[in-house]
Amino acid sequence: MKKFPILVVVLLFLATFTNAQSKLYNTLIKGGRVIDAKNNINALMDVAIKDGKIAKVAQNIDAAQAEQVVNAKGMYVTPGLIDVHAHVFWGTQPNSYLSNGDVGVTADGFSFRSGVTTMVDCGGPGYKSFDTFKKNIIDKSQTRILAFLNIVGEGMRGGDYEQDVSDMDVNLAAKAALDNKEHVVGFKLAHFTNPDWTPVERIVAAGKLANMPVIIDFGGGKLPIEDLFFKYLRPGDIYTHVFTELERRDPIVDLQTRQLRPFVIPAQKRGIIFDVGFGGGSFNFNQAIPAIKAGFLPDLMGTDLHTGSMNGSMKDQLNVLSIHLAMGMNLQSVIERSTWRPAQAIKRTELGHLSEGAIADIVVLSLRQGKFGFRDIAMNRQEGTQKLECEMTIKGGKIMYDLNAIASPIAK
Amino acid sequence: MKRISFLLLSGFIMFAVFAQAQTKTYSILIKGGHVIDAKNNINELMDVAIQNGKIAAVAKNIDPSLAAQIVDAKGMYVTPGLIDLHAHVFAGTDDRGLSGGFSALAPDPYTFRSGVTTVVDCGGAGWQSFDRFKKNIIDRSRTRVLSFLNIVGDGMRGNPYEQDINDMDAKKAADKALANKDIVVGFKLAHFAAASWVPVERVVEAGKLADMPVIIDFGGDNTHAPLSIEKLFTQYLRPGDIYTHVYTELVQRDPVVDLKTRQLKPFLIPAQKRGIIFDVGFGGGSFNFNQAIPSIKAGFLPNTMGTDLHTGSMNGAMKDQLNVLSIFLSMGMDIQGVISRSTWAPAQAIKRPELGNLSVGSGADVAILTVRNGNFAFRDIAGNRNEGKQRFECEMTIRNGRIVYDLNAIASTSAQSK
Repeated sequence: MKKFPILVVVLLFLATFTNAQSKLYNTLIKGGRVIDAKNNINALMDVAIKDGKIAKVAQNIDAAQAEQVVNAKGMYVTPGLIDVHAHVFWGTQPNSYLSNGDVGVTADGFSFRSGVTTMVDCGGPGYKSFDTFKKNIIDKSQTRILAFLNIVGEGMRGGDYEQDVSDMDVNLAAKAALDNKEHVVGFKLAHFTNPDWTPVERIVAAGKLANMPVIIDFGGGKLPIEDLFFKYLRPGDIYTHVFTELERRDPIVDLQTRQLRPFVIPAQKRGIIFDVGFGGGSFNFNQAIPAIKAGFLPDLMGTDLHTGSMNGSMKDQLNVLSIHLAMGMNLQSVIERSTWRPAQAIKRTELGHLSEGAIADIVVLSLRQGKFGFRDIAMNRQEGTQKLECEMTIKGGKIMYDLNAIASPIAK
Repeated sequence: MKRISFLLLSGFIMFAVFAQAQTKTYSILIKGGHVIDAKNNINELMDVAIQNGKIAAVAKNIDPSLAAQIVDAKGMYVTPGLIDLHAHVFAGTDDRGLSGGFSALAPDPYTFRSGVTTVVDCGGAGWQSFDRFKKNIIDRSRTRVLSFLNIVGDGMRGNPYEQDINDMDAKKAADKALANKDIVVGFKLAHFAAASWVPVERVVEAGKLADMPVIIDFGGDNTHAPLSIEKLFTQYLRPGDIYTHVYTELVQRDPVVDLKTRQLKPFLIPAQKRGIIFDVGFGGGSFNFNQAIPSIKAGFLPNTMGTDLHTGSMNGAMKDQLNVLSIFLSMGMDIQGVISRSTWAPAQAIKRPELGNLSVGSGADVAILTVRNGNFAFRDIAGNRNEGKQRFECEMTIRNGRIVYDLNAIASTSAQSK
């Protein structure tokens, strides 16, 4: 007789289990405005998730069909953001900068609370350190971590390492990339200071061997970017830190006339992809505002996240998007440039959209109204009236972050 | 020639700017904010001036022309930099959990954006691993990092290491603590599973040897009835010792609120009066509304607001220090109450009375916070939901007189701001 309650418990459990199983959807995001650039959606829609995938995107999906409902009324629902320019190869190796050193950050602490589900490490590891990167970072992170492999074998270790042309081995870099195609999406060249085209030639050769794009941080050689865009890079290759104004870098906005230089839009039309790569020293309103006014928008909204940018003007992915809103870009445009465009740029077209059957990487965002202020890396100030805030991040159908407890009931 | 004149010119300009900044009485003036400084019993509109990394003046209507840089804090709260006395920042890439492993986090990404200027690592390092902790984390962080040294020599490495009573050497722990008095503020015992009081005795012995407090995560497991917290508070701990995870409701732990009557147990407030300090230590599994709400209603408030920050709590119900404070606002505590419990109260608990206040002459660690009004909601670790009307946001953090975070660019630009 005493056993009777256990029976009840078992029955109840079975009933609940059956009930959950019989629901069409695991999670239903209701009432939000969906922005999905690939599918050309910018409308009030519900999004249903089943087994880690997008099951349905439609108006007025019945809440009774879902085990869990997320109330996204007044919010935006977009694909999980893709940051193509992060530095997450954190480690304790002395003097190792962004390659297993202490200037990188841990991915999961920045990604989900900022709506990001995929981060591309931008040149931290080279072919020599990729295995450590995989073991310590990729395998330990909940964020999807991809990599632009540094053309320098030692990776982004700073100082002399990155100046060593003899450590830029095209074949070994391409081989490591192809051996790790699941994670490597291209190659990075950065911080090279001599006026010498050899590193650019090497990295593009690696890109050709592996059939992958390259991303260029155009160091300090003051080589002409026009030549870079038209003589060296291929369509699909990426130029980052596009709005930098530094003494050592050839800028896109002429320093005298303050006009966008005439070859930049043609370069973009040719297929060169331009990434923000905000970072700790690579974003100036003096470049960005005239460029945007002239109709030149960045293609990608990479953060260049590292310890030197995380607490400065950059802060996080959503702050970078909000800064671009403050300069007059619209919401649809900044979302597209941090979802579907980066997915295409890294040739991961399974990401960055909400097509039925796609991986359920989703972010729910609020667009807060108010008076906000932003800075560039020269401490110039720009006011804005809108700021994006992350309400919820879902990766592979799983809620990774829920700021205001908008999911109900929560999965145990 | 061109280069020389450029250098000369820029040198001259720099000198002029520098000289101007030098001639000002204050490097930074925070104007128009509502100061909450529990130590000095201030809870009103005041300006705060900083010079040479120290608080130079706290007064009404300080003349802005005296300052090189102005921070517009109108409508905001100005408080001492927050002290999180329960964080796990001994990050590393070895398979060592919270002691140089992947479960811990380097502090700077989580502190300044949440108003925190000091974290106390809560038992990550033991005496054997402290030097590595210092080299890899403490010396490389801009956040002030202090330490509760684990009574386990190998630190918070997980099991079986944390169950090894042989590695709980009070003398060696105390020696290490005293040799690093500038960083170590006490001792931690955590996660011990068996029904034995020996680990508690060892940690308190270390505390007596070093004249430092201990902080207890009162482990337990499912193989035995939980050890009595009443006994812990009355027979083992000293006034000034800390009990963390105070609002946990776990099978293996003796709770502060009786599970049947849902009333606060009668010995809690007397224990607090006796001087036992109660820390929130929210973490990934240690905060339940079912414990906290009845406690607060019964007048039993936590003494300190530790987060128990680690990879398992940062994206969950806990999130960050300001979210923890906001949760306590949602349960009815007031702004002054939660701020004092994350500034002056923890400073006293760790015997660092030079921290957690804005007295003239103290180090200029300052947080500027907004209390945003709206409809917000929070969870505990069991998934229960509590609604709130207020949420703290960090507008600015100043560490040692330097602006280390400025969310909305509220500081005027100046020569010193870069």
